[in-house]
Amino acid sequence: MAHAYTPGLRITDKTLVRKERRLPLKGEVLTAPGNRVQADTVVARTDLPGGIQTVNIAGILGIPPEDVRRYMVKQEGDGVEEGEVIARSRGFFGLFTAIAKSPVTGHIESVSDVTGQVIIREPSSPVEVDAYVDGEVVEVFENEGCVVQTVGTFIQGIFGIGGESRGELIKVADTPADILTGDEIDGSCRGKVLISGALVTREALDKAAKEGVSGIIVGGIDDRDLMDFLGYEIGVAITGSEEKGITLIITEGFGRMKMTSRTFELLVERVGKRASINGTTQIRAGVIRPEVIIPLDTGPLSDETKKESPGLEIGSPVRIIREPYFGALGKVLTLPSELQEIETEARVRVLEVQLEDGRRVVLPRANVEMIEEGRSVIR
Amino acid sequence: MRRYGRRAPYATEFIIGILLLGTSAVQGEALSGPAPVTQVVAIDKPNDSGGSVLIRWKRSADDGAGMMSVKGYEILRSVEREKGYEHLTVVPAGVEEYVDNTTVDGTSYFYIIGATDGVHRTDSDPVGPVMSSAQWFHQGRLNMLIATVLLSGLVLWFINRAKKGKKLYIRPIAGLQAVDEAVGRATEMGRPVLYVPGIQDMDNIQTIAGIVILGRVAERTAQYGTPLIVPTSRSLVMTAAQETVKEAYLNVGRPDAYNPDLIRYLTDDQFGYAAGVDGMMVREKPAAIFYMGAFYAESLILAETGHSTGAIQIAGTAMPAQLPFFVTACDYTLIGEELFAASAYLSKEPLLLGSLKGQDWGKAIFIAILLLGSILASFGHYFLSDWLTTGSL
Amino acid sequence: MEGEIRFILATDCGSTTTKAILIERRGEEYRLVVRGEAPTTVEAPFEDVTRGVLNAIREVEELAGRRILEGGEIIKPSKGPDEGVDIYVSTSSAGGGLQMMVAGVVKSMTGESAARAALGAGAIVMDVIASNDGRAPHQKVERIRRFRPDMILLSGGVDGGTVSHVAELAELIAAAEPRPRFGSGYSLPIIYAGNRDARGIVKERLGADTALEIVENIRPVLERENLGPARGKIHELFMEHVMAHAPGYRKLMSWTDVPIMPTPGAVGLLIELIAKRDGIEVIGVDIGGATTDVFSVFKEVFNRTVSANLGMSYSVSNVLAEAGVEKITRWIPFEVEEIGLRNTIRNKMIRPTTVPQNLQELLMEQAVAREALRLAFEQHKSMAVGLKGIQQERTISDVFEQTATGATLVDMMDLDMIVGSGGVLSHAPRRSQAALMMIDAFLPEGVTRLAVDSIFMMPQLGVLSTVHQQAATQVFDRDCLIRLGTCIAPVGLAEEDEPCMKLKVTLPSGEDVEREVRFGEMILIPLGVGEGADIVMDPVKEFDVGAGRGKVLKTTVEGGVVGIIVDARGRPLQLPERAELRMRKLKEWAMALDAYPRLDLW
Repeated sequence: MAHAYTPGLRITDKTLVRKERRLPLKGEVLTAPGNRVQADTVVARTDLPGGIQTVNIAGILGIPPEDVRRYMVKQEGDGVEEGEVIARSRGFFGLFTAIAKSPVTGHIESVSDVTGQVIIREPSSPVEVDAYVDGEVVEVFENEGCVVQTVGTFIQGIFGIGGESRGELIKVADTPADILTGDEIDGSCRGKVLISGALVTREALDKAAKEGVSGIIVGGIDDRDLMDFLGYEIGVAITGSEEKGITLIITEGFGRMKMTSRTFELLVERVGKRASINGTTQIRAGVIRPEVIIPLDTGPLSDETKKESPGLEIGSPVRIIREPYFGALGKVLTLPSELQEIETEARVRVLEVQLEDGRRVVLPRANVEMIEEGRSVIR
Repeated sequence: MRRYGRRAPYATEFIIGILLLGTSAVQGEALSGPAPVTQVVAIDKPNDSGGSVLIRWKRSADDGAGMMSVKGYEILRSVEREKGYEHLTVVPAGVEEYVDNTTVDGTSYFYIIGATDGVHRTDSDPVGPVMSSAQWFHQGRLNMLIATVLLSGLVLWFINRAKKGKKLYIRPIAGLQAVDEAVGRATEMGRPVLYVPGIQDMDNIQTIAGIVILGRVAERTAQYGTPLIVPTSRSLVMTAAQETVKEAYLNVGRPDAYNPDLIRYLTDDQFGYAAGVDGMMVREKPAAIFYMGAFYAESLILAETGHSTGAIQIAGTAMPAQLPFFVTACDYTLIGEELFAASAYLSKEPLLLGSLKGQDWGKAIFIAILLLGSILASFGHYFLSDWLTTGSL
Repeated sequence: MEGEIRFILATDCGSTTTKAILIERRGEEYRLVVRGEAPTTVEAPFEDVTRGVLNAIREVEELAGRRILEGGEIIKPSKGPDEGVDIYVSTSSAGGGLQMMVAGVVKSMTGESAARAALGAGAIVMDVIASNDGRAPHQKVERIRRFRPDMILLSGGVDGGTVSHVAELAELIAAAEPRPRFGSGYSLPIIYAGNRDARGIVKERLGADTALEIVENIRPVLERENLGPARGKIHELFMEHVMAHAPGYRKLMSWTDVPIMPTPGAVGLLIELIAKRDGIEVIGVDIGGATTDVFSVFKEVFNRTVSANLGMSYSVSNVLAEAGVEKITRWIPFEVEEIGLRNTIRNKMIRPTTVPQNLQELLMEQAVAREALRLAFEQHKSMAVGLKGIQQERTISDVFEQTATGATLVDMMDLDMIVGSGGVLSHAPRRSQAALMMIDAFLPEGVTRLAVDSIFMMPQLGVLSTVHQQAATQVFDRDCLIRLGTCIAPVGLAEEDEPCMKLKVTLPSGEDVEREVRFGEMILIPLGVGEGADIVMDPVKEFDVGAGRGKVLKTTVEGGVVGIIVDARGRPLQLPERAELRMRKLKEWAMALDAYPRLDLW
């Protein structure tokens, strides 16, 4: 437990970002290493197998399942149109014939003489994967995808909804403590990514979705508002597949949370640039946090400087991530090694932090996170 | 009704009367009639559909007392106060009311009651005018009204509750909960389900209940993809069963799996049918057998054979004599009322559930009142039983 | 072999931490020596589980002063008193554990049996596909595709039963072209444990494209379950396919003396073993960050369920979603606004490693824990049931008492012991808090012992029991559990403050404690660890403590760090409707158990 602290979220001015772009199934990669790509460039494509429909031939024709093959008009592998006859029974002198039609267009995948059923597979649907960020293809996985690399600003949020999206950054808050009520949003926000302050209200979310805003980056949101906006309660912390037409990235947490000034300033500095954002969050084994990537126009990197995070040290800047000082920033004063009893009587490893307002408080180490620089930073 | 002549029929009484009156005649009153009736009232008869007037009076002082001379009372009616009185009838002595059922609504009538000793008649003053009319409400049926309102109110209230999504508790009927299980067993074992809807025709309520439950069982067999065999002993039942099963398969989206050939007519003959069904059990080895409807002597023959094939058996009948056989030979048995409650239980539709619950409460209330009435009557208080029978306290 | 074994090393690779324990034989007894832990290293940047294992072992080395590792390998067998170990075993739940889908013909019959087999083997059952699950064929295919299980267990039909339903399921699975989660280079393992007669057809449909294994039918007849072979095969395939493809596991597998077992499977083995040995009915619960496992042994039948989405960190929001705000606030003895509670719970979800710093936060977290435990237990009760679809024998006396099959096996009155584990229970600042949480969530009836597994070594002991039962049970008895005491809860209802039971406890000192227990109160009678007391309970006629309504029960109860807890709050539990009254009662109860500091201040 020597390093029991929460590795903070990454907020980096300029870093090397590598994004793996993979197909859900094997398919075709449309690019090659060294290619420059735009965010919306399609880099790989495949066909997703179609859905299946079953037709109970034995039941429809009134025959035993083992006879099904004899009455099939179409065989395995044959293409069929919707409404096309696929099996026909022959009655007395051509009377009393019964027919079975295909309910969909597709092809016959299998005929079973045990169940008397035929499985019809619908046509496959194409799936395309785009580059997501402006950058350079540096690696290709044959038939699976590629890696796109870019240099830019990289900011992680704590929680988000909605999948990949992109748009020009614009500012709708003056300070990181502002509340986004919806009045700031109008037609000019269509397709843009909004930088706001401490809270976004339900009304603002609804209006943004209506006006076609690409995304919102904000410090906090009330859980109740989020639930009302989504129309359901988020159960497990796996998001990204919401289809509300907007991507929301929360940088601090639930409730009214002033956005860290560093994040706010960094975003404001990049106003007017195109950002690629993704609200996908998974707080489980293999943590995924939402992200904002703002590619910058710099040449290729010559040298990569890797630096191991030193861990929590005296003087490290930290943020407190649980009540009662939630959201406050400070500096580590002491790191006592023995366990100490806190108010709840639990004996935990603690640290002493000097808050920005000068107060000195003792906290469990688990309740602070480091404000981290990127691991590979270009200066 | 016997009509009496004015005097002649009283010939015998007349002679006796003379003999009896002999003594009084000596006192100088022999020739006058009995004392008149008093307090004559004529009113429209309440709680009727019109066409009748009720006349009441206090009997004459000589009726059963005094001179003991009254033989009867003659009822006379007219449409005018002063004249035109016609004889209606004579009622025997001791009677104090009469209902004239021959009035025309809207006409005013006057009545005179004449106390008669067979020879003389002493008339009362005319009463009236009185008019007969129909009443909107029969007060004597108040008890029924209260009962109806109570019962419907309960039913409506429970339906409403059920519609609002309130959970109505219905005692679990193990036999119905086991329907899924029985069909499931047949499915896992790859065997058919056999459904016997009794040996009576569609005019029997038990058969109807059986067909309703068949619909539910058929929905299950359709979902599970298990053949359902229904042997019937009446042609009409076969048709009804086919329609029900077809609809059930359609309801769950499996019309393709419906096979009308499995719903067969065997014979109207009781034991021919029993033998036929037994034969099916032995040959097809169904893993679930339902007996739902009216059964007679064949019940145990069927249930025993079914048991020996290792099937889960669920029976339901309102035939008291057959219930013991079913209870012992089957896995589950619906007893009497349960058979009829089954459709509500299975569908969980608010309408059916609510009425079932409302009726049950109604029954409970009536049983409580009956018990109370009996107890009160045992102690000599009859107001409750009177009210229940006549509606008046 | 058992005679020579002196030092045993066991590890459990959890999804966040890897825990190692060292066991030594001292005289005739095996005892826990030390334990160590280190972060699990399955994921990037390390992607090698053995690094975490080695780190944890290194901590053990330091604490025990014993050399176990040499050049990144475990020294085995031991060389003298200071070097090496004789046995090394391990369990694993890293990477989300074993995720399975199961299929059966009828959901409540072979479907349920298949789910039980998978759960018993330690898997998370993502979905049960059945012929009668109400989904159209294409929806079933869609689900198989979307969930991407590690393994599929296909069952259906009794031996000699339906073939067509099984064939249909096999066809659907084939049409879904399922692919495993890890790696694309191998085909998905599928176990067929259904109707013997359908084996040929299943092989024909699935044999080519999947790694099909055929074992004995899990339901050879409807009257009997045969889960052993399927469970064994799941463990085997878990090793061969799933674990072998997870980073570093090949190396780890080569170190262990017995196959690595899924963590919950190992816990289940141990609980089954203890229940059988002592002839008791027991419930075990492990409440984690993402999932809550419930194990039970009733009437000698072992059951395990896992509530995949009920937990205290990653899944904490789902507890809120499933229980609702009111159900949670009913356990909090102070006013709390809905919006504040919601935000607090969500913040715990997005920052799962934080700990409550003040008392209010602790109480909120423990309130959520109660509901998570309660919901998980509800699920368990609905899964731990008797077999359905069995022919019944009746006599005429059954006429008004026809009971259905498939009733739950869980009987709280018969229950002898509840064992809790998981951070919120085992790291509760005061032990009485853990006891209170377990009582509130499970509502034991009659006389029930309570314990917590403080350092969660049941998995290691479970897997150890497969090679060295004696060591596993001895360590379990001596070192594993912290006995909290005994809960006595009369069943019945009365008005507040009405007497419901007379109680006479004869303490080991010979002193008699006599109490009249009133409805709506909780009483704590201290009785230390390892101590026993004779107790005579005389309930009033509406109450039952185990001998029947109004019947006197004489028994001996076990003490613990908390003591004897008398819970006369009624069964079912009665919480006052009115908020202030409820809060006052909650405080009263907590104070009776001395569960929280400074509670009288607010």
